[in-house]
Amino acid sequence: MRADRTTYATGDAYVSTGMIDSRAPAEAHRTPAAPGEPLLTVEDLRVQFTRGGRRINAVNGLSYEMVPGKLMAIIGESGSGKSVSSRALMGLLPGTATITGSIRFDGRELIGLDEKELRKLRGGDIAMVFQDPARSLNPTMKIGAQISEAVRAHADLDKKGVQARAVELLRLVRLPAPERRFHEYPHQLSGGMRQRVMIAIALAGEPRLLIADEATTALDVTTQAQIMELLVELRERLGMAVIMISHDLGLAASYAEDVVVMYAGRAVEHAPVRTLFSNVRMPYTRALLGAIPALEREPHSMLPVTPGQPPDMSALPQGCPFRPRCPNATDKCLEHPPFLEHEPDHWYACWHPAGTELDTAPEVTAAVAPATAAEAAHHSTAHDQGAAQ
Amino acid sequence: MTTAALPRVPGDRDPRVSPLRRVTGSPALRLVGKRLLMAIPIMLGVTILTFWVLSLIPGNAAQQLLGAEASPEDVAQLEEQLGLNESGVSRYLSWLGNALHGDLGNSLVSRQPVSEILADRLPVTGELVLLAFVVSLLLAIPVALLAAHKPNGLMDRISMMISTLGLSVANYVLALLLVLVFAVTLGWLPAIGYVPLSDGLWANLKTMILPSAAIGLPLFCFYTRFLRGDLVDQLQQEEYVTTARAKGVGSWQVLLRHAFRNSSFGLITVVGLNLGALIGGTVIIEQIFALPGVGQMLLQAINTRDFVVVQAAVVIFALVAVLANLVVDLMYAVLDPRIRYGSR
Ligand SMILES: Nc1ncnc2c1ncn2[C@@H]1O[C@H](COP(=O)(O)OP(=O)(O)OP(=O)(O)O)[C@@H](O)[C@H]1O
Ligand code: SF4
Ligand SMILES: [Mg+2]
Repeated sequence: MRADRTTYATGDAYVSTGMIDSRAPAEAHRTPAAPGEPLLTVEDLRVQFTRGGRRINAVNGLSYEMVPGKLMAIIGESGSGKSVSSRALMGLLPGTATITGSIRFDGRELIGLDEKELRKLRGGDIAMVFQDPARSLNPTMKIGAQISEAVRAHADLDKKGVQARAVELLRLVRLPAPERRFHEYPHQLSGGMRQRVMIAIALAGEPRLLIADEATTALDVTTQAQIMELLVELRERLGMAVIMISHDLGLAASYAEDVVVMYAGRAVEHAPVRTLFSNVRMPYTRALLGAIPALEREPHSMLPVTPGQPPDMSALPQGCPFRPRCPNATDKCLEHPPFLEHEPDHWYACWHPAGTELDTAPEVTAAVAPATAAEAAHHSTAHDQGAAQ
Repeated sequence: MTTAALPRVPGDRDPRVSPLRRVTGSPALRLVGKRLLMAIPIMLGVTILTFWVLSLIPGNAAQQLLGAEASPEDVAQLEEQLGLNESGVSRYLSWLGNALHGDLGNSLVSRQPVSEILADRLPVTGELVLLAFVVSLLLAIPVALLAAHKPNGLMDRISMMISTLGLSVANYVLALLLVLVFAVTLGWLPAIGYVPLSDGLWANLKTMILPSAAIGLPLFCFYTRFLRGDLVDQLQQEEYVTTARAKGVGSWQVLLRHAFRNSSFGLITVVGLNLGALIGGTVIIEQIFALPGVGQMLLQAINTRDFVVVQAAVVIFALVAVLANLVVDLMYAVLDPRIRYGSR
């Protein structure tokens, strides 16, 4: 483990809610990346929804950092807080959400901005493309009107200028016959074309950060690849940073440079994509990858693809949230593992990272997926005893 | 609606489609045709039912006209004169035959042609309904927009309170309250009576304000609640609203251009469906305010067993309901591009 890690000072630069517990040193503060200042720094971001007296902690101290122009993937299973945390960046969460922590974009704190500043930010500095292009375009408005609206929100142009810019944007996203499509309605376009329109809308304000929230999930494989290629190309042409949110690790591996793995509303592992795949540390990421070396796996055994249930966000377990499902878990894991830069550029939050001397991974039976959390716990204890003999 | 499996683009001319098919293939025209065809069984059903119910009520027009003291011979003579001695079926069929030729017959009681009576009475009911509708919608839309702009805000709470109150009062109770306050206590408006539009707009309006308020206020409450709820649903649940917000457009623009546009479909449906109930309401209100409208005519005709006039009123009411549904469907077709281009 590295010695020179910076620990994150709690209670610094963000709204204190009394929610921050005493398990410091919690999330670590990342030292500025080498090529210039970070574009986006998320620190101990927490989002809590209050619904019917119940509190749902959708995001629980998320921290990550991103330099300009990067293509970063955020992955994690359903409900891990990917969408909520990225909507928090743009102030798009409903009134039932309480947001604390810090989001700095280009040195400016975004939490606590008023509605007017947020409106300038949305679509201006940060833009977003959503999952389902059939639902995210207004069915009763023409494509042209929907793009023009975005153009007008960020540029002072006359009617002709707005239209010219809108058509130019449609051309930029390679929508065939943009002049004709301008006068059509969303239902007249295919899914892939609609998503191109969504991207054109997102580009209207020349954003420096584009968030694609599962932008290709609803599309077929071929269209998915085309849209991803388009995003990669646009990023290079326009020099913007892209966050792609996905629960598809394969997709992230093919396109992203950096990967943040989220679990239960936190970042649990963050590394350049190569590092992550060659030296996976988090048992959760390993489970996502199904990357237990084949030698250690019994023939015909089940792949340990994240056994157990995703955590209940209103009642997280004590200590590491992955503990009930983790084959490596020990009593140490009742204490919360800090998210630290344990190796250069490789961040994770785990007491027993895989492939290190602290690894407690069971050698044989880890391959047999325990069905429930209780079973998982039973399994690992049984194993510890086995290893001791 | 059957549509071609091929994706259609407006302006596309499919050479396989004949010019005639192209015209009749217009979704709007097909819709009108379908609705009008459906109107036929509805009208037949409604008139037959009315006829049958009237025949169940003891007494007929001859007895009602001559009074209780009349001799059975006189009654029988008048019955023959009015054609009441024939069987119900043949009376209905001859009425139907004439009606199909545009002749709704003469009132059994006043001998006046029904078309003349309707010409007098329809404008009164029409004005009442129109005023109630226009005023309730003109008030409900801005109030609902203000309420939905800040859910649970001050405007929202106030409008919720008023509309809950307004919906819990029956319209005849409201009518009496209005009379009590504005006619009896304040003396601003007449309690009953009717002045035709030809005697001056203000004189006419003075007699129409209270009756149309009695009908329109509950409507206003209902529309406000409905529209507010639908707008809030759109704002909270629809993904295109998030897209609009993510573009950086202002909250009023999101509300008006996006949410309201889509909520208007629901509102139109509700307004159209309401029309039937509304016309039912006019019968009571015209009675309370002594307005010489179709509703009042209907009640009088039932009392005198004047089946010719009753039938005319029923036909009118049913026709209005059918037309209202047609208008709703056509508005849908105009407002919703997915229907306009026949892709759904
Ligand atoms: N408006 C809301 N009110 C209450 N809870 C919410 C709301 N939006 C999201 N949540 C909860 O927050 C948690 C995180 O949701 P989020 O949408 O961020 O997950 P995700 O990682 O994007 O998952 P997916 O892969 O399914 O999109 C979930 O438990 C979800 O139920
Ligand atoms: S080993 Fe412990 S700290 Fe690491 S993921 Fe498993 S439960 Fe969490
Ligand atoms: Mg999501």
